[in-house]
Amino acid sequence: MSLARRLIAAGFSDLEKGERFLAAPELEGLEPERLFAGLQMAASPDTALQSLVRLIEKHPELRDLAAADPDISEPMYRVLGASEALGEFLIRHPEHLAAFRVRASPEPVQSDPASLREVLLQSVGADPRAVRPVAAGGGTDAYAALRTAYRRGVVDLAVKDLCAADPLDFLPSVGAELADLAGAAIEAALAVSRAEAAGQYGTDDVAAVGLAVIGMGKCGARELNYISDVDVIYVVDPGSLDDARASTIGTALASGISRAISSVAREPGLWEVDANLRPEGKSGPLVRTLASHESYYARWAETWEFQALLKARTIAGDADLGRRYEDAVAPLIWSSASRDGFVESVQAMRRRVTEHIPAAEEQRQIKLGRGGLRDVEFTVQLLQLVHGKADENLRRRDTTSAIAALSAGGYIGRSDAAAFDNAYRYLRLLEHRIQLFQLRRTHLMPVAEPALRSLAKAVLGPFSNERPHPDALLATWQKTKRSVRELHERIFYRPLLNTAAKLSTEDARLTPEAAQGRLAALGYLDPKGAMRHIEALTAGVSRRAALQRQLLPILLDWLAEGVDADAGLLAFRRVSEALGTTHWYLGLLRDSNAAAERLCHMLSNSRLIADLLEVSPESVAWLGQDKDLAPVGFEAQWQEITSKMSRHADPESAMRLIRLIRRREILRIAIADSAGLLDQDQVGAALADTDRAAVLGALRVAEGIVSASGPLKTAVLVVAMGRQGGREIGYGSDADVMYVHRALPGFSEAEAQEQAARIVAKVSTLLTQPLKPAIMAERVLQMDADLRPEGKNGAMVRSLDSFAEYYRRWSLIWEAQALLRARPMAGNDDLARDFLELIVPIRYPESIAETDVREIRRVKARVESERLPRGADPARHLKLGRGGLSDVEWLVQLLQLQHARRHPELRTTSTLEALDAAARLGLLEQDDAGLLAAAWRLASRIRSANVIWNGKASDLLPSSRRDLEAVARWCGYEPGQAAVLEEDYLRVSRRARGVFERIFYGQ
Amino acid sequence: MDRQQEFVLRTIEERDVRFVRLWFTDVVGSLKSVALAPAEVEGAFEEGLGFDGSAIEGLARVFESDMLAQPDPSTFQILPWRGETEQTSRMFCDILTPDGEPSAADPRNVLKRTLAKAADMGFTCYTHPEIEFYLLKSQEPGPDGAPVPVDEGGYFDHVPGGVAQDFRRTAVTMLESVGISVEFSHHEAGPGQNEIDLRYADALQTADNIMTFRTVIKEVALQQGTYATFMPKPFTAHPGSGMHTHFSLFEGDANAFYEAGAEFQLSKTARQFIAGILKHAPEFTAVTNQFVNSYKRLWGGGEAPSYLSWGHNNRSALVRVPLYKPGKGQSARIEYRGIDSAANPYLAYAVLLGAGLKGIEEGYDLPAAAEDDVWSLSSAERRAMGHDPLPASLHDAIRTMEDSELMPQILGEQVFEHFLRNKRAEWQDYRLQVTPYELQRNLGIL
Repeated sequence: MSLARRLIAAGFSDLEKGERFLAAPELEGLEPERLFAGLQMAASPDTALQSLVRLIEKHPELRDLAAADPDISEPMYRVLGASEALGEFLIRHPEHLAAFRVRASPEPVQSDPASLREVLLQSVGADPRAVRPVAAGGGTDAYAALRTAYRRGVVDLAVKDLCAADPLDFLPSVGAELADLAGAAIEAALAVSRAEAAGQYGTDDVAAVGLAVIGMGKCGARELNYISDVDVIYVVDPGSLDDARASTIGTALASGISRAISSVAREPGLWEVDANLRPEGKSGPLVRTLASHESYYARWAETWEFQALLKARTIAGDADLGRRYEDAVAPLIWSSASRDGFVESVQAMRRRVTEHIPAAEEQRQIKLGRGGLRDVEFTVQLLQLVHGKADENLRRRDTTSAIAALSAGGYIGRSDAAAFDNAYRYLRLLEHRIQLFQLRRTHLMPVAEPALRSLAKAVLGPFSNERPHPDALLATWQKTKRSVRELHERIFYRPLLNTAAKLSTEDARLTPEAAQGRLAALGYLDPKGAMRHIEALTAGVSRRAALQRQLLPILLDWLAEGVDADAGLLAFRRVSEALGTTHWYLGLLRDSNAAAERLCHMLSNSRLIADLLEVSPESVAWLGQDKDLAPVGFEAQWQEITSKMSRHADPESAMRLIRLIRRREILRIAIADSAGLLDQDQVGAALADTDRAAVLGALRVAEGIVSASGPLKTAVLVVAMGRQGGREIGYGSDADVMYVHRALPGFSEAEAQEQAARIVAKVSTLLTQPLKPAIMAERVLQMDADLRPEGKNGAMVRSLDSFAEYYRRWSLIWEAQALLRARPMAGNDDLARDFLELIVPIRYPESIAETDVREIRRVKARVESERLPRGADPARHLKLGRGGLSDVEWLVQLLQLQHARRHPELRTTSTLEALDAAARLGLLEQDDAGLLAAAWRLASRIRSANVIWNGKASDLLPSSRRDLEAVARWCGYEPGQAAVLEEDYLRVSRRARGVFERIFYGQ
Repeated sequence: MDRQQEFVLRTIEERDVRFVRLWFTDVVGSLKSVALAPAEVEGAFEEGLGFDGSAIEGLARVFESDMLAQPDPSTFQILPWRGETEQTSRMFCDILTPDGEPSAADPRNVLKRTLAKAADMGFTCYTHPEIEFYLLKSQEPGPDGAPVPVDEGGYFDHVPGGVAQDFRRTAVTMLESVGISVEFSHHEAGPGQNEIDLRYADALQTADNIMTFRTVIKEVALQQGTYATFMPKPFTAHPGSGMHTHFSLFEGDANAFYEAGAEFQLSKTARQFIAGILKHAPEFTAVTNQFVNSYKRLWGGGEAPSYLSWGHNNRSALVRVPLYKPGKGQSARIEYRGIDSAANPYLAYAVLLGAGLKGIEEGYDLPAAAEDDVWSLSSAERRAMGHDPLPASLHDAIRTMEDSELMPQILGEQVFEHFLRNKRAEWQDYRLQVTPYELQRNLGIL
């Protein structure tokens, strides 16, 4: 075999370099077979070879080990191949090469913590048997001795870790030994620190002060990484000294520990000692007495701080003091689940799992993100906190034994627990191997192929037959992440289901209390009710129940993310019961994750959609496909209506069909809106189209009724006004309209007028009158004709001639203003054209008199003071309030009246288009127009959101936090941002009002 | 129940406290008080005490008037002036909405939010106020229509057998017994005018202390048959009552305003903080000087600063940097001299800190220090040197504040709105008054 092929077979990445190093004089005369057998064991033969050559260069006696039987050389090759940094260390400290002269064990044993402590203390000349050991001296020599002894410990551990037959099995021991080693290092650092402090504060005083070092986080839990910050909290015992003196000395001791561990010195620092989890964080004192800790936790601490205490363990210093600290804080941890704000803090924690990941790292993160290590740890800790109050067996610090305890107690299913445990260990193993290579703190998957290749080899045990390959490694990793993501839901909810469905499995089943506790922690306000719904959904042997048992875990999780999880679950139950065994429904839930997630999201955030889906569950089918959610245009709706009307001639059934179509289309728009497929402007236009089809249908039916008893004598036109005219309506808006008619040839004006009045009255009744059987959950379309000439006192419908006459003689400025948004909506096309022609000079006048401008301003001012409902806060009224819809619209309309004659661009019924045109024409500053548009859009959006959220129209910015939260989410805010929306709206509307006052009132 | 709450309940029991008053503050800074029977205290800790917020200025919108007052047990104090029998105590409250959220309209919450923002930037804020007030013979004016002071003393005067001295001794003792440390107290420039300086403390605690201080001073005066007033300018002829306040920011244990060797030992942070205050002072004057009468002090001469300026130990400047005492880096601080004694301390401190923090955030440049007596300059000179005036009247101040973008950010849109509404109403009322001045000046000749 050529050398190159041999190198490839041994796993070399850089062949050229490999060949060069193999030819190094240091290796001359060594048996190549032995050398290759050794290198083949190394995760990275390239690195192993380079380190080996450099080591032999300085310590030629290593040649015999390099060429020894692989059984003997195994520890050396494995360590040098897995860690460049440890190779460097040994080049610096050849006295520790003895670490390689051990027999590799497939079943290694974890070192005794006491012996580690002894070795580290002795390294600095302290007596391990002393109550408060003191080092022989301080300074950089002591630091170097301590750090060297610690790193030797890491080499010993790496030998065991890398030679263990099953690295996943040995993994918890690695974490534990690293934590013990860190504890021992801190113990020795404390001894050094005491020696240093004695110089300044006197031997007796320093000896009088007790200091316990409490390990937090991974060190406390004895699941430390190869390299990671060690989180600590210091507890000081003043002994015979007064508190102030003791605290000064304690602080000096604590700073000394940090210095000994991580300050710059000949032998590089080990890791950061991080005391930021202490009470008050960075701004709190570094050390506190036990009493001070107790009073802080009793009075000030926040929920997350108790969760952090879950991991607290004495790692160095006064053991007795540490134990008293642990005893004092333990009860606090376990009552934290019943504290106020626990659910919120859990949800915030959960968001933190996925937040703050730089985009560039997202694909490479092992720790953060969904399916990362943090995700596993979060899940385990949450379950511990929820159930640990009642069940002391769950009070474990480290993740692997906590998973085992949760499984043993039946809180998670046995196979789920095994899979979860395995995934956790695998992710940790990846992290360990990546960190070990350069002893750098990183949680990122490497990118370069050589690094991936050696990592792939490093995670396989010595006896594995698998061929290491980068692609295989990445595939396994992705699979593990996916399985964590899936298990996550199963672990939370599966046992609930077993309880609810009364399954007689041997697998996890919770007591009813435990089940309710868990639901409450996940955000269900009425856990009893939720259990009942879950029971109903999963009980029985039907195919649906079986499928729902499968799916509910993840559905429950999605529902819990909504503002009203309880209502969402209830609605889901109703929909599910209504759809029964419909085959497509089950298929949709089973096969389309996106559709099921959308459904849960809507049901738990929207009363409007939940209500409509309950009465028309077949619409759930749209969720599967975005194309079914695209608004059906007016033409298509009208076609459907005409074809149905031809088959159902009687007015009652025709009207029912028309109104059902409208209800269906509103639902479709709401769903598309909630899925983010439509923006606010498109929603308004789509809703207006739907109303138009319904009104036209009603008009045709009304004409049919009237002409049943005689000939049709007149043509009627419905003209949309107001926001309906601008196609800017929201869910459940009234339709502002005017009615125009023109006598058909051969009929007198009076006859025509009489018939038109009957038709118009009919239209309104047809759209609103209750039908039998009733149309459930319908949002009835109210016709509002108050903007007609002479307002409420005028005739409901006028002939075109009468309009012409009226406008010629009477027209008031507010009528001209109202006409700006007139848009023919249903009826005769010729009549529509003539009507539009008629009103051009009225709504786009040649000029507008100063008195008229004043009149508009006066009317607006009066509307502001009179129309606002009694007691309403003007700042929160979306329509009539400060900087609300009406401010923006009146301003735009004033500009249209003044300038639309000369600038046809302004001739539009749409507020936003007109605003945009005015800005382009320079009638408004660009900034002002932008601000007005933003205020108008947000107010419109909030109005829509009000209806979507609770099914009721409201013109107010909600004041209850829950309503506000829901509305904020519908306005595109992240969860927990209710107060931000409130501030944003109040701010943008206040500014819009400023612009409005300046321009409209000319101030 | 936490330890602190337990402590309160135990003290109530052991000292036989008969009444517990819950204190909170409305937007203009009036102290509001609800008395509770001891048996109700525990419930109030847990669920808060429901009350009708619509009756309180600026606290709630009419349609959602139910509010909760939740006592802060760390502020529990026995009130000494109520005597040993039938003891009365007080706690400050946070105001919550019915959902249990902090009310956006609670001034104490406004300050807490600003402090939280400072904490996010790594700062803790300390303040130390010098509070001036007048002691009068009674609340009733004298025959000439002006109030009648208890003595005719002047600055630092020792008035033998003086009412004021007796008063200050009793007041200081009582303040100390409610846990408020007094740094300094002396007779001020005006007749019957006194100044008491409180020891520096965390800004929230200082604001709580000021509210207590006002009550204590008024109670002691009543006990001694006199009347104490914090009105900004009760006498035309004598100086007004200011509440100069010293501010310092700490980063951990280090004073962030101190930098050895810099000009006046002022750090960059301090310079930016001052710049922030000066730039935004006109916008927040309506808060720090909130009454019609406040502007009579601001523009009435005396020591009141009316122009935007800062100086090193310059008593005519709006912001004064006190003389540095060598070796006292920790006591580096700046003094804002514009606030008057009738300000709502929560809002006043929030806007000042907020403006200063804005200066730090945006890295404002500080103009040159004023070395001259700003009052003695001509207005053209002042203009040339950039010493713009503060608003001249409550009306001016309201208009300036209305245009501010920073104020609604600091106060929150809701307090901003309530506050302005209240102040506009006050100005409106004032405008309707026909004053003795007009009668005296015009009636005889017109």
